[in-house]
Amino acid sequence: MVDHVAVASRCTCPSRRHPCKHVLALLLLWSSGDVPETTAPATVVAWLAERQVSATRTVPDTATPRSATTETTPTDDAAPADAESDTSPEPAGDVPDRDRVRDERVERMYAGLTELDRWLDDRMRTGLADPVLAKYATWDELAARLVDAQAGSLANRIRRLAGLVGESPDWHSDVLAELGLLHLLAQAGRRLGSLPGPLADAVATTVGWSVRQADVLAGVPDTDTWIVAARSDTREDRIEVRRHWLRGTTSGRWALVLSFAAYRQSLDTSLTVGTALAADLHRYPGPALRALVGTRHGEPTEPVRPPAVDIVSACGEIGVLLAAEPWLDRVPFTATASIAVDGSTFLLADAGGTLPLIAAGRPLATLMAVAGGDPVDVTCEWTPHGVVPLTVHLDGRSIDIGPRADDDFVSAA
Amino acid sequence: MTDHLSNAVETTASAVDLRASWDDLVAVAMLGTDRRNPPSPTGMIADVVDDTVRSSPSERMLAQVAATVVVRRAGVLPGPARLLIAGPDADDRQVCVPAAIERWHHVVSSWHVLEDEWMLTLLTNGWRVPPDLVPELLTRHRSDPIRRARAEIACGPLAGWLVGHLPELAARGAANTQPDPSADDIAELPMLPIPPDLEPLLFADGDQVARQLAKAIDSGTLVHAHRAVLINLVARMHAGSLGAVATALEAIDGSSIGFPLASVLADLARTRERMLDELGRT
Repeated sequence: MVDHVAVASRCTCPSRRHPCKHVLALLLLWSSGDVPETTAPATVVAWLAERQVSATRTVPDTATPRSATTETTPTDDAAPADAESDTSPEPAGDVPDRDRVRDERVERMYAGLTELDRWLDDRMRTGLADPVLAKYATWDELAARLVDAQAGSLANRIRRLAGLVGESPDWHSDVLAELGLLHLLAQAGRRLGSLPGPLADAVATTVGWSVRQADVLAGVPDTDTWIVAARSDTREDRIEVRRHWLRGTTSGRWALVLSFAAYRQSLDTSLTVGTALAADLHRYPGPALRALVGTRHGEPTEPVRPPAVDIVSACGEIGVLLAAEPWLDRVPFTATASIAVDGSTFLLADAGGTLPLIAAGRPLATLMAVAGGDPVDVTCEWTPHGVVPLTVHLDGRSIDIGPRADDDFVSAA
Repeated sequence: MTDHLSNAVETTASAVDLRASWDDLVAVAMLGTDRRNPPSPTGMIADVVDDTVRSSPSERMLAQVAATVVVRRAGVLPGPARLLIAGPDADDRQVCVPAAIERWHHVVSSWHVLEDEWMLTLLTNGWRVPPDLVPELLTRHRSDPIRRARAEIACGPLAGWLVGHLPELAARGAANTQPDPSADDIAELPMLPIPPDLEPLLFADGDQVARQLAKAIDSGTLVHAHRAVLINLVARMHAGSLGAVATALEAIDGSSIGFPLASVLADLARTRERMLDELGRT
């Protein structure tokens, strides 16, 4: 909705850019005479009436320092994040409650990111050999403060980071890398306004800005025939997370469909590895891999296998995704490769190079048995510590070897 | 070709530089910038760090770490090429049909009593198991010498090859310490306890067995207490009787006192009948 007289707009999209692209598009259509004269819909009438009432009610309060909130902030970094759907130049006292709540939330998040960066700075000063890092409370307290600051995703990263301390001989390197990424996110999160739109959306989501599923599903769908290339279950804190990696047969783009289960809840079993389904996927804001499955156009077909590349090209594909979002923990790829060994480490290998495998037990044994010394198509997740094999694709069938949720924890769907 | 070579050399050199500068950063990070200044950044990293307004060593360190991590991640490179693992010797036998594998999963989850027969039938008819089932079979049959021997035959050369690379799949306990079982031991189905009064049903005419069993269960002569021996009976009775037995047991009325027992035995008879059919196909 656009009020071209009082210069205001409102949109249901989750974008923090204002006016958003939908508002601009509507204005362009209107300026070129492509918006027909018609009776205003009820929502538009209600919005205009609400604005009218606010305007008459708040004239004396123009000095109310809503702007003071932003003025007290040294930079205007938080502005895009607290940008409202309704961008009319109203005084603060008249913003609807939900906008006020959002303002407060953005302020908390901004403060949380500032505190995080200060904490990171302390770690750099005192060093990773500081015994305080060995105490879980050090990390947990920070994570709790980030939760209070509405940066839940960063809090989860902090808790996972705590588990890296002392885990391997070169944990200092792993922890330092993660601290660097946290610094990157803390800085970017406070500069959302100066970031390109998609990147700002990606940063906001990664920091913890939640997006309602309804808003995601209201976005433009990415329609394709999607190959369910792989599945992977991981326990994060007390939640089991299931990742389904989908790849568009036309676009070649990857998408990630997540499902979650607390104790005795069920994970999504509607997607079967090795099948393909024609469906609308709705992506989260930004260049996100994460998406929701919308309308399904028919039953899944089988069997199909995603296109595979060699190891060097796979590294290129991984690099492209990581260049767009360096903080990603997992990136999918499908490669045609054999197995090699370097000491006690098994490697995904071809003539062009190798990638270290993170696999043991049944998944590794199955991969080796199926490959048997020959190249096979395998979909993996890249992680900073190596690649996790998830699916072996054969003619006519795919073998799901990804990590599987503990049956004692989740219940059958 | 020269361009490719020089690009490869440059890429490798950059990767080495990046690795060295990362190691320097880790060394400083362990001690802390209160004790040691961060290393001087070079190349693109220097541009990024210089573009930021950083006053303290710790702030410059953080900016340098973040920039280096991003470059390292986005520039992920494969490790050096290695000699690929040579495969196992070829196995000329055909892989059994997928339905037989599905049946095996059903057998091990619901009807253990049929597992030995499944494996022996597979071997007798010259099949082998698909490669993806090999780790599961080797893990399942680690310590029983006879079952381990059958599993290794069903898996073929792949079993030894896999154990060579993954010693955790090797035989344990008795299967590792006792001498290899003889061919006769491997080929013989283990005996199951069956009471003498039921033994004639093992080899009787299918229709006769079906009638007798259905009547005894329906009338309550054979009850749940006989379940174990009846399962043994169905698991060892003549294969030709299975269809008739299953049909007769499935026909027992749902209101009958013997219905639950009949359902269980009917499922066993059907499972065994289909199992033998699938493994008998050529």
